[in-house]
Formats: sequence, C-alpha cells, structure tokens
Amino acid sequence: MKQTPDFDRIQENMRAGSITGPGFLGDDERNLLDIIREDESKVKELGLTNETIADKLEILMKQGERGFGSPVKVDNRFVVIVEESRGYIPCPFRHGHLSKKVNVNVRNITLKEEIDYSPISIHLIREHGFYQGKGSTYRLDPEMLARMLELI
Amino acid sequence: MEIIISALVVGGISAVLAAVLTVADALVNNYGEVNITVNESKSYKVKGGSTLLSTLAGEKIFIPSACGGKGSCGLCKVKVLSDIGPILPTELPYLSPKEKKDNIRLSCQVKVKGDVSIEIPEELFNIREYLSTVSSIEDVTHDIKELFFDFEEEIRFKAGQYVQLIVPGYGDIKGETMRAYSMSSQPSVKNGVELLVRLVPNGIVTTYVHKMLRVGDKIRILGPFGDFFLRETDSDIIFIAGGSGMAPIRSIVLDMMEKGVERNAYYFFGARSKRDLFYLEEMKEIESKMPNFHFIPALSDPLPEDGWEGEVGLITDVVDRYLAVQGDEASREGYLCGSPGMINACISVLKKHNVPEEKIYYDKFG
Amino acid sequence: MGVPLNPFVIMIAAALTSNMVLSNFLGMCSFISVSRDIKTANGLGMAVTFVLTLTSVLNYIVYYYILVPLNLVYLRYIVFIVVIAAFVQFLEMVIDRFSPALYINLGIFLPLITVNCAILGGVLFMIIREYNLIQSLFFGFGSGAGWWLAIVALSAMRMRLREKDLPPQLVGPGITMIIIGIMALAFMGFSGMLPVQ
Repeated sequence: MKQTPDFDRIQENMRAGSITGPGFLGDDERNLLDIIREDESKVKELGLTNETIADKLEILMKQGERGFGSPVKVDNRFVVIVEESRGYIPCPFRHGHLSKKVNVNVRNITLKEEIDYSPISIHLIREHGFYQGKGSTYRLDPEMLARMLELI
Repeated sequence: MEIIISALVVGGISAVLAAVLTVADALVNNYGEVNITVNESKSYKVKGGSTLLSTLAGEKIFIPSACGGKGSCGLCKVKVLSDIGPILPTELPYLSPKEKKDNIRLSCQVKVKGDVSIEIPEELFNIREYLSTVSSIEDVTHDIKELFFDFEEEIRFKAGQYVQLIVPGYGDIKGETMRAYSMSSQPSVKNGVELLVRLVPNGIVTTYVHKMLRVGDKIRILGPFGDFFLRETDSDIIFIAGGSGMAPIRSIVLDMMEKGVERNAYYFFGARSKRDLFYLEEMKEIESKMPNFHFIPALSDPLPEDGWEGEVGLITDVVDRYLAVQGDEASREGYLCGSPGMINACISVLKKHNVPEEKIYYDKFG
Repeated sequence: MGVPLNPFVIMIAAALTSNMVLSNFLGMCSFISVSRDIKTANGLGMAVTFVLTLTSVLNYIVYYYILVPLNLVYLRYIVFIVVIAAFVQFLEMVIDRFSPALYINLGIFLPLITVNCAILGGVLFMIIREYNLIQSLFFGFGSGAGWWLAIVALSAMRMRLREKDLPPQLVGPGITMIIIGIMALAFMGFSGMLPVQ
C-alpha cells in the first residue's frame, strides 16, 4: 500500500546503519505502514492492546533494573537481566524522543523461551504500534509476546 | 533533417536551461564570506552556507555531538546571540520552551548564511581533533578490550575526562559514528590515550572496535570533554564503578599516586562473576604504593568454580556495609561511574551515610 | 491572431470563473495534500502562482519564437515540461536560500510542482486559446492566483474542522473531498460572468 513521504523518511531511519547497527526492519521488504497494520490486526485478534503489552515489558524492565546486570527473578515466572550502556537512541519517527541504551533480556522459566528488547522497543510499541520488521533481531512478534509474557 | 533539428532544439533548450541553473546555483547558494563572533571576543572569517556545527569544526571549535551532525542526538546546542533565521522543524523536537526563548539552537541544523554571533562554554576551546594510530589492542575480559591510541600531538586533560572516538562507516552503516569513552590512562601520559571499550550488543562503534579495528589503523579522536574529575579537597574518597567504568577511576587513581595525594580512598568495583574482573594485579600494586588506597572488588553472582573469597553481593549493598562499619563522621566525596540506574542507587546509599548530594560526582551518560 | 480580450478580464476569469482547480480540476494532488496547514498552503500557493506566471511567459516565447518557426510544434509537450522543470529547480534553490523552514515544510511537494497538471494545463490553455504575450502573462498570474485562493480557503476550512466531531470514516480524505466538491459548486456560480476567451 502506498505510504506518504513522511513514512518513507521514517522507514529510511529504520534501516540498518541509520540509527542502530542492525536497524528496526530486519529483512522485511514490506512498507512500514503494512507492517504496522498487520501487527495491529494481530494484536486485536489476541484481545490485547499496545498499552497492555508495553506495560508488561516495562514492568519487567523496572524489576530487572534492580539487579544492575545481575539476573532478577520476577513473580517466580521470569528471569530478567538488564544492562545499560552510555548514550541515547532517538526514535526513528523523529519527534525528538530519546531512549536510553538498555538491553533487557527476559526468560520465561517454564516455557524456556527468551526475548531481548530495550526502552526504544517499548516506546515503539506503545506510541506507534510498531513491533519491528520480520527478521529483525529485536522483533517482538505480538503472538510470541502474548504467549511468553503470559498475557492471555 | 527534421530529426536532427528537433533533437538539436530539444538538446539546445535543455543545455541553455542547465547552464542558467548552474549559474543561478553558484549565485544563489554562494553566501560569500561571513564573520562568526564567539563569546563576543574571538572572530572567525568563514565561508558561508554550511551548518554552524561543521563551520565551527572547520575552525577547530568542536561542539559536542554524538550523532555526527545527523540531527538525532540533540547534543550540539549552541546559544546564538544574533539572528540566524527561524527555528527549523528539524530542531523543534530537541528544544525545550526555555531553550527556544534563550535562543539556543541545534548547530547541526542551522546554516550560516550571514554574520553570526554565538556564545559557547570556554572549555570547548580546549577541545581538539587528534589523528591517532592504534598501537595496541588487548582483551582484558570476555567483552572488554583495552586499546592504546598514539597521538601526533600531545594531549592535555584532567584525569576522569573522556574523548569522542570517530569510526568510519562500515557494512550497512554509511557515514561516521562518534561515541564517548573515558581515558583509562593518566594525564602524565601525553603522547596518546588508553581507552576501555566494552562490546555492546549491536553497538555500532563497539562492534567496529571489537571486530574490525587493527593495530596500525588511523582513527580520529576529539577531546577532551567532561567535568568528571577529582576535586582538590581533603575529604575521603569513595569510588564506585564496574566494568568499563573502571577507566576514569584508574586514570584518577594513577594521577593521585603520581601526585602523592594521600587522601583515604576506597574503590568499590562491582562485577557479576570472576570473568568480569580485571586489573586485579595492578590494583594490588597501587595499594602497596598508596597505603591509603583500598581496592574492594565485589561479585554479585559468583560461580562455584570461581572459588571467590572476596565480597559478595550487589555493589550498593557492599558499599552500605563498609560505610556502616566505618561510621559516618568523616567528610566524604563520592565519584561514581556507571549506568544511571546504578548511579541513582549508589547516590541513595551515600546519602544514607551522610554524604551530601553536592559532594557526589558522576560521569553523566550520553 | 489572438482574441482581443482585455488581459485584466482574462486574469479575473482565470482566477474565478475558470478556476484551475475548482472548475477545471487540475492540480488536485498537491491541492489535497498540502492543504492541511495554512502556512504551508500559503507558501505553496505563492510558489504555484510564481511558476505559472513566469512559465507561461517563458513557454510563450519558446513556442512562438522557436518551435513554430522551426516547424517543431509536435515537440511542445517535451519542451514545455523541460522548461517547467528547470524553472521549478530554480525556485527550489531560491526558497531553500531565503526560507529554509518553508523548504522543509513543503518537502516533496515543491519539486512536485513540476508535474502539477495545473502548470502544464495553464500553458496549454494559453496555446489553445491563442493568447498574445500580455494576455498569457495575465492568464498565468490569474490561474495561479485562483489556485492559491482555493488552497488557502480549503486549508482554512480544514483547520476549523479539525477539532469538530466528524463521522470517523470521513476524517481526512473523505471530508476534504466533500469540501472541495462544495467549493466547486460554489464557484460554478461564477460561470458565465466573464469570458475566458
């Protein structure tokens, strides 16, 4: 589907090497608008909202921060490791939002699955409904999140 | 015949228009020579038309920037005293209402089209660009490398400051990227700087340093920057830093040793397990030469095979225990280097032990 | 062999009775897209007027002094577009120099003026109606002014509607089309008042 020049510019920002090394799109060839739309319908199908998913990711991150790099057990269901680095990442939607460079690793103890994300991922989900392109190392697939974070 | 004439006419018209446009471009986009006045005292004659950031860099005045002028870090703010044009849409997201009122602009976005007068902090005049050659790359832990960069000119800095490392584009990354690293070498070493670089997953610069940089490579470095340095008082010193945060502390401690500073100093080095520890031998040596310096490493998750007999626990808890044992009457200063989360937690612990917030110094990230 | 019509009459007719975008439906895409913000709409209106006025004159000269004498009339579409493109390029340079904020705000729509059918349309009308140089100049200006008037009016209306409660399906393109339709209907009221040729 055609998207406006603004979205084209934002999609450029998301490419590898623009803001982050690997970028936010992985090897997804689709338009940014299509990526967001498809994830939007999936989220609706699951009966969730961007806010609920983002909130859960944020709560886990805040709990993990207490460890300063050491693993923290949360609710007896997750193990969270939070590591921070120097600097900021600007939001590719270019509205001035800056996120800290933090790597959050969450492992579900029973399912034995794990994901990696950072504050910019949470912001992209909450404010823009963007779960990153397929193939991106940081893609947070809504279905996978719903299952792993035990939201459904 | 007609074909030739028609081709000539279309070609001719296009050529004439192209020529007119080229002349117009030279005229319209030629801003001539303009004057930049800095801090109402220094004046520079420069060629107009480029951004304020690059124009100043051309005059060897380096405004701090983390994104190299791409307009994504918001660090290159400069106070402009004269009229440089309306605020551009690309500046708006990074300026607070107060900054807009104070005429603070994003220097990588505004173009110098006429005479300009600006105000910048005096420290910026100390910042130079150094062309360096990598003379050594060593692994100190599984994810931290120690590098030494030889400079052609001498560098003068205060122990605790940092430099900006500029790496060239590589792979998908077009254009240069700049990142800040604190010096782990002390100021008496003037012919270059030693840096500790920790590999950050998917980090643009750290990946380059760990995977592509080789001894002999030439790298540009800007600096020195920062206001993290030892204050000249008699108070006891509490250093808290882990991982690559060791760099500025090592610089400060070596500097102290060379200058014969005899203040009581405690360096709490937090790590997860034994493989994250390094420079243990060097720290022991410093302890033997500076009786008032104490190095206290602490592991938060020691593995059984580490056979660790030292302090165990989160670094904030270890600091808490030590300060409790010492008692809180002595006057103390805190010097912290780490992530904002860790720094905040340490500030709370220090405040709990009567260290006033103004006496807690930390290397602010970003 | 031009029709001896008063240039001022042509100018006003081009702006009102034969409005480029509301009567002839030319130049729609930037008309709809840029009318979101009044300041940018005003800037684009000025740019389009400027381009229409001067390219009418330029293309008149090229047509009657180069193409016609050399029997190359069939090249008119190519040559007109080349002249318009060069002119818009020049305009981009000038706007970037003197108003970088406007340049950034117009974005892609500044170079899109080149393929704005209102421009080529205006030039072709001038040829078809066999205007002389002065008439062409006034026609170009009038057409541009009419387009400018229409886009500013539309953006003003869209701004006022921004806070109002609209049926969600109509927000954006839906309501814009309806407004344009109503404006076109209103402008039909001018028809017949002034002859354009």
